[in-house]
Amino acid sequence: MSDDIVLRMKNVDVFHGTFQALWNVSLEVRQGEMLALIGANTAGKTTLLDAISGMLHPKSGSIEFLGKEIGGLDPYRIVELGITQVPEGRRVFPDMTVLDNLIIGSYAGIARRKKPENLKIVHDLFPRLLERKRQVAKTLSGGEQQMLAIGRGLMAAPRLMLIDEMSLGLAPIVVDEIFKVLEEIRKRGITVLFVEQNVNRTLQEADRAYILETGRVALSGTAEDLRNNAEVKKAYFGVDSCEVKPGGYGG
Amino acid sequence: MGMGSGDIITPIVIGIMLGGLYALIALGLSLVFGVMRLINLAHGDLVVLSSYIAYALLTYLGLDPVVGLVISIPFMFILGFLIQRYLLGKGFAVSSETPLIIAFGISLVLQNLNQILWTPLSRGLNTSYTHASFFLGERQFPATYLLDFAAGIIVMLALRLFLTRTYMGRAISAASQDKRAAQLMGINTNRVYGYAFAVAMGSAAIAGVFLGMTFPFTPTSGTSFLTIAFGTVIIGGLGSMAGTFFGGIILGVFQTMGGYFLGPASQMLIVYVLVLLILAIRPTGLFGR
Amino acid sequence: MERLTPIAVVVVIAVLAALPLIGAPESWILYVFLFLVYLAMANMWNLLAGYAGLISLCQPAFLGLAAYTMTVGTWVGVPWWLGMVGGAFVAALFALAISVAVFRLSGVYFAIGTLVVPEAIRMVFYLWRPVGGKMQGAGAGYMVKGIGNLSPQEIYWLALVVAVGSVLILRGVLKSRLGLGLAAVRDNERCAASSGVNVFRLKLYTFIIAAAVTGFAGAVYYVYQGYIEPSATFNVKWTMTLLLATVIGGIRTEGGPMVGTIVVVFLYFLLARYAGYSLLIQGIILICIMLVSPQGLVGLARKTAVHPLARRITTLGRKAG
Repeated sequence: MSDDIVLRMKNVDVFHGTFQALWNVSLEVRQGEMLALIGANTAGKTTLLDAISGMLHPKSGSIEFLGKEIGGLDPYRIVELGITQVPEGRRVFPDMTVLDNLIIGSYAGIARRKKPENLKIVHDLFPRLLERKRQVAKTLSGGEQQMLAIGRGLMAAPRLMLIDEMSLGLAPIVVDEIFKVLEEIRKRGITVLFVEQNVNRTLQEADRAYILETGRVALSGTAEDLRNNAEVKKAYFGVDSCEVKPGGYGG
Repeated sequence: MGMGSGDIITPIVIGIMLGGLYALIALGLSLVFGVMRLINLAHGDLVVLSSYIAYALLTYLGLDPVVGLVISIPFMFILGFLIQRYLLGKGFAVSSETPLIIAFGISLVLQNLNQILWTPLSRGLNTSYTHASFFLGERQFPATYLLDFAAGIIVMLALRLFLTRTYMGRAISAASQDKRAAQLMGINTNRVYGYAFAVAMGSAAIAGVFLGMTFPFTPTSGTSFLTIAFGTVIIGGLGSMAGTFFGGIILGVFQTMGGYFLGPASQMLIVYVLVLLILAIRPTGLFGR
Repeated sequence: MERLTPIAVVVVIAVLAALPLIGAPESWILYVFLFLVYLAMANMWNLLAGYAGLISLCQPAFLGLAAYTMTVGTWVGVPWWLGMVGGAFVAALFALAISVAVFRLSGVYFAIGTLVVPEAIRMVFYLWRPVGGKMQGAGAGYMVKGIGNLSPQEIYWLALVVAVGSVLILRGVLKSRLGLGLAAVRDNERCAASSGVNVFRLKLYTFIIAAAVTGFAGAVYYVYQGYIEPSATFNVKWTMTLLLATVIGGIRTEGGPMVGTIVVVFLYFLLARYAGYSLLIQGIILICIMLVSPQGLVGLARKTAVHPLARRITTLGRKAG
């Protein structure tokens, strides 16, 4: 594995019971990049993140993180190894305070030792979380909860951060704020893989992207290439006419 | 209990103190339910088991029951961890009803075991101070009730501290609020469940000792105490230690008031009826989530 | 091939019915009688817990209330057979009454709620003596009156009728719209509810039916025993027996309770000398079965499916299941 690549998935199949959700998925995540995963609701994006996080185990194929095979490991092991997921819907612990939510983020492995310094970093990135540290999490606004969820993820001292549908239900101005923070996070050497439905915005922020269609990788490339790609334009931006080629757009 | 005509203050005070004991018994059940959504049907019998252990230590080694806790708390802690790890935990993997049935099985095994070891005769933990009494003004109360209340408060506060100030405690709290998020935070939920159950058993050990000093117990007492614990948890709200404590007080006062107005024989029945009423009207409890 | 099974069933019933006539020893009759009573109740418990998802721990309440209705009836001049019917009716009514309280509860709460009910009723019958003069000891202990001219054989045949009836009722329910609805709820409760299935009513009907049959079987038992008192009647031992029988045999299978009840009665026979250890042993067996083979013996047989006859018996359940 070259120095550059942080995570590599090769020919991964994932099942939900008897239903196959991911088909022969291969992707690479490079150190320090903002990688986007795009696709419709049922494309399998969350399933892919869950496979990386260990919540689901691949039926076949391999997932390597920093050279180590992680497919089939328990979720807590994967957090210990340095991958953290900010789940869809934020899922902050509703009855805990903001501060306690952050503290529990540093539960696993070496993160505990780093708690004081990480806490400072998170408070610098999200001053509002410092202000509201004694506030119970369920009383926060959507945007604040998202910040808390990301901050909580940071407390785990990750190398790779997976963020699922962060902009859902948030005002564009809040989303801007959060993207700015993600840029800061990136500067600290953390790689970000984020999942979004909002293709336009995503392709502005990301370095590279993969497009998922019904559990398969349909397209991939740099954000620039994808922005200019005719098929992507037609499918997601509705630029061209509604002419449907036989067999779909066959990527 | 139930001092008869006129003086209503005495039953109220007794009810409050009794509530401390009930809370003490219920705290473990509340913790387990909050984390694993499991009502441990064997909880009452495990509390009584602790009473019998204390009885054995007292009778054969002359150990004061409270001192004996040094032995019984670790014992029940480990027992709890093992029960969760090898019996209940495995049951969860099969179906959601299986742990319930297994707990039912454990409950009856314990009852029968205690019956074989100790005969159905009722026992009590009698020390130099268990028959003492104290005065509040002109009214006289058994000293054990006060000890129960104090123990209830102490254990409740200790558990709260554990849940909010230690990593394992926070992990237990987190797992009870959102299991998926907890797993994504690197919490090994299986291990956490084991510890939660173990801690609950530790508190059950304490409850058993104070119970034995307050009331006589038999191998089948477990069911009544399960009902009391359950009633307390239902009233006070799941997973909240402070809520459970207040639930205990409410239940205790309700019981003594019932005894005051309707006679002492019906006290247990009143508890049962109250539990059923609350289940019918508001199963999530007065303070519950 | 298919015609063999109903014939086998008829033969078995005929043999059972003939037992008292061919001079089988009285102890055998007793054990078969127990088997029949337990079978009826186990079938109903299976219906509740296996098919309707209601882990009901209040069966003693149903059988006890029905039995007491019948017994008290005999003290006020109501003939025992009428009292039995009345008892079943009372049990059903009781199920209806507590359904309001216990049905709002999901599995765990429901179990606790139903655990409390028999305890509460036992307490009531300790304190309350419905008819007759004062008695020594615990409250409502009664002899059953007016059964002097009944022979044990007649009661035995009555039990046989009840047991067969329970099998037919179970089948009937599972094949009916009620059964379909229950299957839908088991599959996905929210889906079922949103497609117009009245989940509450389904569970209620199941609860009532189970209560009535269990009650009737209980009344039959106490006619045989001739004497009833609260602590043995409203006792968790009944629950344990039914739970064990259903689980050992195979929950949610039609043949399960049958197989399980045979095992349980056989155990009862083996452990007669160790009555003090019965709950202990039953509890351990229950735990082991739940961990090792939660689908019970029938489930095990299905998986290994060695003997073709065994397979035919176990697939009795497959068609309606």
